[in-house]
Amino acid sequence: MISTILLLGTVLATVTGRLGDAAGTVRQQLLLPIGQALDRLLAPIDRGLEPAANAYNRSLGRYFGTMSGLQFALIVGSVVALLTAGVWAPMVGPLVGGGLLRTLALASIWAIFAMSWDIQSGYTGYISFGHSVLSGAAGYTTALLIVHVDPGLSIWVTASVSVLAALVVGLLVALPTLRLEGPYFSLITFVAVLLFYRLTTAFSSLGGIPGFGQPDVFTWDPVMRYYYMAIPMLLIALGLTFMARSNLGMILVAIRENESAVSAAGINPTKFKIWSFALSSIPMGIGGVLLVGFTGNVDPDTFVIVDNSIEMIAMAVIGGMSSILGPLGGAFLFEFLNHQLFHGYSTPVRYLFLWGLVLLVLVFARDGLFRMIWHRLGAVGGESE
Amino acid sequence: MSVLEVDGLTKRFGGLVAVDDFSLDIEEGEIVGLIGPNGSGKSTVFNCIMGSYDVTEGSIRFNGDDITADSTHEIVTKGLSRVSQESNPIDLYSVGGNIKLFTLPNSIRSLHGGASDEEIYEYAARIDIEDKLEEMPDELPHADVRRLEIAKALATEPDMLLLDEPFAGMNQAEISELSAQIERFRENGMTMVVVDHNMGGLMELVDRVVVLNNGDFLASGSPEEIAENEHVQEAYLAGEGL
Ligand SMILES: Nc1ncnc2c1ncn2[C@@H]1O[C@H](COP(=O)(O)OP(=O)(O)O)[C@@H](O)[C@H]1O
Ligand SMILES: [Mg+2]
Repeated sequence: MISTILLLGTVLATVTGRLGDAAGTVRQQLLLPIGQALDRLLAPIDRGLEPAANAYNRSLGRYFGTMSGLQFALIVGSVVALLTAGVWAPMVGPLVGGGLLRTLALASIWAIFAMSWDIQSGYTGYISFGHSVLSGAAGYTTALLIVHVDPGLSIWVTASVSVLAALVVGLLVALPTLRLEGPYFSLITFVAVLLFYRLTTAFSSLGGIPGFGQPDVFTWDPVMRYYYMAIPMLLIALGLTFMARSNLGMILVAIRENESAVSAAGINPTKFKIWSFALSSIPMGIGGVLLVGFTGNVDPDTFVIVDNSIEMIAMAVIGGMSSILGPLGGAFLFEFLNHQLFHGYSTPVRYLFLWGLVLLVLVFARDGLFRMIWHRLGAVGGESE
Repeated sequence: MSVLEVDGLTKRFGGLVAVDDFSLDIEEGEIVGLIGPNGSGKSTVFNCIMGSYDVTEGSIRFNGDDITADSTHEIVTKGLSRVSQESNPIDLYSVGGNIKLFTLPNSIRSLHGGASDEEIYEYAARIDIEDKLEEMPDELPHADVRRLEIAKALATEPDMLLLDEPFAGMNQAEISELSAQIERFRENGMTMVVVDHNMGGLMELVDRVVVLNNGDFLASGSPEEIAENEHVQEAYLAGEGL
């Protein structure tokens, strides 16, 4: 425990102290040569993979972004790893503390949240501090339907209505607030989540603090449960990447960089901001439904609490905002650290580490770890910087 | 027919009257110079026309439509485009990307619409930056950034252009070159209002000049008449020269 705190203290000192200069030296003396050696090592592999990447680039690159050989390999490798996790995770799991499939399932849900947050906040720069209101709206809708309407309702009915509820709540937040400029939008989303949290805890008809235990989990089989979470996550990643690489992504980033230039281009920024929020609310709702199926319980601390909203931001930041796949990677890293690597520590200590990591990324790698790796891989071929 | 009619335009910022009962009529195919010392309200007039500022009083019509209360994007869609005094390219996008943004439809369903690479090349070629399409805006010299701003405005396919101090910060050679390019736009049927704080770049270019002073209409006439006008000279004597 004490050594943990000492370690964290050292880490924080690195951030704040004059060691910042040392970082520059480290970069010069250590990282640069390592990078060059890595380049020499990876360049032939990159070239070897290029034909496959180019075949993809010619057919689908226009819709999902073009990639270098190594970038293509990373994506294909990750997708294959995720799709086969049901086989390898139970074997590898014990080496990293066990329960790996559970962590991966949870990470899939959080990846949905982080990506959904990203298409709205990361892309437009209108940072939402209250996105858990959206997943919460979906979760609570499912619970209320089961408790108050009919426990036998099919999942397709409860899920559709729940996602719709997330969309409605999203529009309720977005319509009046996205016209505002400056910090008002962020503050209002923040208040919205505080309000919703108190609402759910204050009224027993809304479950109160214990929430609702009636919704069932999708399945108790850990392998099946993992795929219930991972497949929708991959589809959402595909859909959001497609959106982000289209005109829509270009306009949303332009809104973040210079909203008046967007107006001058004859494009209505308000319309696109609201659309991005809607586009974010739908997968947030799907994530909320999946979280119900994962925990079997809908309560304020699992669904609404403001920490949730901040945690998805943390994941997006660690992975790299406004890239969709960065937040996906960030979510997996965050959950892996939280539940596997740090699993021996108490919750407060784990979160001390995690927030420390967020701070480090914000100070030293503002583009995020996965965006950094991504650009590094792209640069091996010597094209971009 | 009048393309643009500004009628009794007044703009107040709190107690400050930046533009006072100003009227302006622009005919199709004209190039009109709008001059006035710094702070006389020229940019404010443009901001009111473009819907960037709410108008305090008065009305603005474009191609017969009342656009006084329209939003900027609606006005641009109707065919009126402005090149701001300050350049504001998006530094994350290349020159080509910046131009492309200005060709995108205002529709959430248009995921892959907008100009083709050839069309973007054409817009850039009209202002001679077609060989800079791959460059990033923050790598460009000042004059090219200004050209990019004009290319962006052209990319919205306007009937009319408002140019706010297009020559500012340019040297004599660049001014002549830009003048010639603007002249070419006119030959292609573009109507234009060009703002400058003095007559320098406008003398050869414009058909007539309107002078603003302290937000008030001061004079209008041919470039020669304005250069001779005593009231105009007086107004400029207070500050920099005409
Ligand atoms: N947004 C604003 N808020 C307050 N005052 C402004 C604003 N914009 C312009 N002004 C004032 O209006 C007057 C005219 O400014 P401007 O139109 O920029 O002049 P010009 O373009 O002729 O140099 C100036 O006194 C200026 O300070
Ligand atoms: Mg001005």
